[in-house]
Amino acid sequence: MIASTGSTIRSVSAGSLRQAGYLTLRLLLALSLIAAITFVFFRLIPVNATTVGFFYLVAILVIATVGGLIEATVSSITAMLCFNFFFLPPVGTFTIADPQNWVALFAFLTTALTASQLSDRLKRQRREALDRQHEMERLYALSRAILLTDTTQPTAMQIANQIAKAFECPAVALYDHKTSEVYLADRDAFPNINAINSKLRESAIQSSVLKEGDEILITPIRLGGEPIGSLALTHTFLSDAALQSLLNLVAVGLEKARAQEEVNRAQVARQSEELKSTLLDALAHEFKTPLTSIKAVTTDLLSNPEESLSQEQRGLVAIADEGADRLDRLVTEAIQLARIEGGKFQLNRGVHFPSSLLSAALRQTKSLTDGRDLKVQVEDNLPLVFVDAELIVLMLAHLIDNAVKYSRPGSPILIGARADGKAVTIYVADQGPGISEDEQTRIFDKFYRGRNGQHLKGTGMGLAIAREIMRAHGEEIWVKSSPDQGSEFSFSLPVAPVEVAE
Amino acid sequence: MSAGRILVVDDDPQIRRTMKATLTARHYEVGDSRNGEEALDRLRSETYDLVLLDMNMPGTGGIETCRLIRSSSDVAIIMLTVNNTEKDKVEALDAGADDYVTKPFSIPELLARIRATLRRLPQVPDEAGLQQLTLEGVEIDLPSRQVTVRGRTARLTAKEFDLLSYFLIRPNKTIAHRELLQAVWGPDYGDELEYLRVFVNRLRKKIEPDPSKPRFLVTDAWAGYRFHLPH
Repeated sequence: MIASTGSTIRSVSAGSLRQAGYLTLRLLLALSLIAAITFVFFRLIPVNATTVGFFYLVAILVIATVGGLIEATVSSITAMLCFNFFFLPPVGTFTIADPQNWVALFAFLTTALTASQLSDRLKRQRREALDRQHEMERLYALSRAILLTDTTQPTAMQIANQIAKAFECPAVALYDHKTSEVYLADRDAFPNINAINSKLRESAIQSSVLKEGDEILITPIRLGGEPIGSLALTHTFLSDAALQSLLNLVAVGLEKARAQEEVNRAQVARQSEELKSTLLDALAHEFKTPLTSIKAVTTDLLSNPEESLSQEQRGLVAIADEGADRLDRLVTEAIQLARIEGGKFQLNRGVHFPSSLLSAALRQTKSLTDGRDLKVQVEDNLPLVFVDAELIVLMLAHLIDNAVKYSRPGSPILIGARADGKAVTIYVADQGPGISEDEQTRIFDKFYRGRNGQHLKGTGMGLAIAREIMRAHGEEIWVKSSPDQGSEFSFSLPVAPVEVAE
Repeated sequence: MSAGRILVVDDDPQIRRTMKATLTARHYEVGDSRNGEEALDRLRSETYDLVLLDMNMPGTGGIETCRLIRSSSDVAIIMLTVNNTEKDKVEALDAGADDYVTKPFSIPELLARIRATLRRLPQVPDEAGLQQLTLEGVEIDLPSRQVTVRGRTARLTAKEFDLLSYFLIRPNKTIAHRELLQAVWGPDYGDELEYLRVFVNRLRKKIEPDPSKPRFLVTDAWAGYRFHLPH
């Protein structure tokens, strides 16, 4: 590709050489025309000087129109000299006797200059118009290409390639500020790529136009005044207006890609969420179906009258029954945890009285707390909270369950709710053996079970579930405990906004 | 002597076998079907008092089967499901189920639910000895459990009728949620507000001229429900 860069340079010098050649050729042609007129009228057709003058004038007009200023000027001076030498008396000298000859000379020159300038301007305008048209065509091609970008490559990469293609210039670098990446149409097109890289970033951050060398222009790409990237390219072939349009196109293209990406990401997230949910439902069903049969048999046997089973048989069936319960809880909690982990599930929030959440949890755990010294302290006039009641009751039941399990039978358990600034705090306190400081950070981890609870029936998922539920609500759960002083688990709930509560 | 006829609908053969064994031991007559289509066939040719219907079945699922049964029959239905979420409960009750039990369950719990579902509200005539009531196109005949709405017989399930008659003999009085649940479902109930919400809605759909703007079955927010009887 280095070779191609070299050939660009070579073709530039070859172009100027060719131009010089054309000029020489045109000059020769123009001078031949003057010489031909001189020869024809001096040797072949003798006419008077005025007629020859007219012919010279017409010839210069033609030369000026077809050629450029240089040819016209050179021809008019030559024509004037020839006219003077061959046709104006005294013939054969450059002396000008008659003042009218000065008029002729002046007329030649004026005509030559005016006509050549006029034709030059016209030609320039035409060329510019062609250039504009060409630019427009390229911009149009580019805009179509940007609209048709696909997802096989980063959009910025595709845009850089399309610019290079549309403007036939391999030196294009596009910097996307969001991804902080530079996309090059051709990796070898820039002589000093590191300098370009850093200038691209600088340009995007400072929103300023920079230069690298003579040929490369680095311009920020803005959308709504905000820089979203920058573009480096050889600028010489682009008008300012075209460059501006190009930048706008790139900005729109990048923004469109960004919007599309966001939509895609949301869609993928939703699909994977649906898949997860379907899988979990299937898993729950597969585990719980056999458990249902087991549980039905064990509970049926245990509910039969005392005399139908021996004491020993009853004990054995009770073990199977407890095992089934434990497995059921394990599956239920593992699925709950999987469902809510990552906090990407939909909360079903509503406005609730803190006290009704407490009483719902107490009802659910009634069989566990029976016979325990349970104290409930709910402050008066607590504000309403805005939560997913089902999940909060679930985690509160977990906490009560833990408090019962990890404390001596008969020791008191305290459950309460209090206003705490902008939140309502609910707490569950026991007088169990407490949790040491190094354990306090680990108890919220999945499958971790407190040192004191190794022998207890539990899944080690209750507190992990509680933490995930709190995360989903944007709130927190924490523990205050020291060995032999019991543990107090607390969590905060968001107060319902007034307009929701009403 | 049979305690009642029960149809067990579940795709799992083990569950069908266990249910058959345990319920037969409790003097129920038990039939079983492997899926929704089979159950609908059986219900067309045989009479049952109650259907134990699995919610997650291949083919016609539990919810759809429940709807199909309800379109032609007011047999009592208890839905069995593995999910204990509010959404599933409401979905089951909305489809016309009378109750809902989460798998795995204990047999005593299931038996209690079956008894509560088959339980009929004892007919206690109120002070006025109300037997029949006609209001704005709705005719209710308590002894024959017949309800006619604008000339057409409305099919009410047993629980729906019990709930309606409990309201009828206590007109213009707010009845607390707990009282309704314990009276109509049984003493083990009291916190299942979603049951009431769904059943009252089902009743409204059957007797109210405009169920979205109830005239008879009025909600008293946070307190309970009231049957509004124009004087």
